[in-house]
Amino acid sequence: MAETNQKEYKVTWKGWLSLTILVISLSGIFTNANAPWKALDFMVLTGNFGEVAKGIIFTGKGGIGAKDGFMFALTLFPTVMFALGCIQVAESLGALRAAEKIFHPLLRPLLGIPGVSGLAFVSSFTSTDVGAVMTKELVDEKLMTDNERTIFAAYQFAGSAVIVNTFGTGGPLLPITVLPVGIIILLIVIAKIIGANMVRLYLKWYLAKNAVVGGSKNG
Amino acid sequence: MAEQSNGTLTLQVKPSMIDEFVKGAKKGFYVAVENITPAMVLAYALILFLNIIGVMPILAKLLGPIMAVFGLPGEAMVVLTAAFFAKAAGCATAATLYSQGVITATQATILFPACITMGTLVGNFVRVVMVSQTNIKWQPLLLCSALVDAAVVMWLTRFALFIMGVS
Repeated sequence: MAETNQKEYKVTWKGWLSLTILVISLSGIFTNANAPWKALDFMVLTGNFGEVAKGIIFTGKGGIGAKDGFMFALTLFPTVMFALGCIQVAESLGALRAAEKIFHPLLRPLLGIPGVSGLAFVSSFTSTDVGAVMTKELVDEKLMTDNERTIFAAYQFAGSAVIVNTFGTGGPLLPITVLPVGIIILLIVIAKIIGANMVRLYLKWYLAKNAVVGGSKNG
Repeated sequence: MAEQSNGTLTLQVKPSMIDEFVKGAKKGFYVAVENITPAMVLAYALILFLNIIGVMPILAKLLGPIMAVFGLPGEAMVVLTAAFFAKAAGCATAATLYSQGVITATQATILFPACITMGTLVGNFVRVVMVSQTNIKWQPLLLCSALVDAAVVMWLTRFALFIMGVS
């Protein structure tokens, strides 16, 4: 897995377009639009179940316990299937590569990690393992220092594979949340960046403190 | 899957968009079968159990003051505890509490990103921190930072709700 060939990869217009559509679709800005472009919205296309009686879908009313939990889980299948299907298509069209182009120059100021980690950074949006393996390889190839790895791992660890997990394991809350799911993902990413920066500051403080006493060695 | 013929002609067939969609949707189906459905069954049964034996009001009283910091009732602690073990369980528990009227949709929204952020913490520790071979000296720090992230994201969500005028 995880070939770290950081060679120039041409991002096609398809990549940019699919990334744009994915972001628009998840942002929820068209959810309540009264125009044809609401067809781009994720929640609109997810649709609704028909009603068995007024206000009651096939799960019925008044169920409790494991049986009710099972029925509720059934209502989530279409959402999760549709979401992961769309994400897979966007990924295959190069949306991740396009995102990498955007993030490459931002990683140093944002997280204090080198731009070459861009591919690992964007991979970590949809996969827990690919990002982690790539990170290890970046250090093995001396493209990243040990401390940078700690900061990067702090970023990846909390809320790992944020897009897939928000739609997958977060499925039960998708019909309930009052914020668009794109905003939820954005908030998680911001929290991840804040958390990683706390680790970054701590490491900086620790190194400064220990540099005075003696040579700080890097494991 | 793709047959690698070592003959003369190797057809490099790029999977079409339809193939990719089907592949992803299939993945989603299995996530629903393997992660969500078992978690929902567990969460609904567990909450029912806790309700019948009468623990929920006690939890609410004990943890109320702590959870109030995040704009949540004490019962929300059950959600975060479940999330610690598995993201899906946390989200399923939040959905259950919502369906019973214990938490509001707004409170479920605050819990949503927190469940994802601090969810499945031990499993992900292995998958991220161990796999990337992070310096062992800092590993406890990373564990703490994930929990802090969850607190941060709950405040961020409250702030976002406030900005968007939903609360």
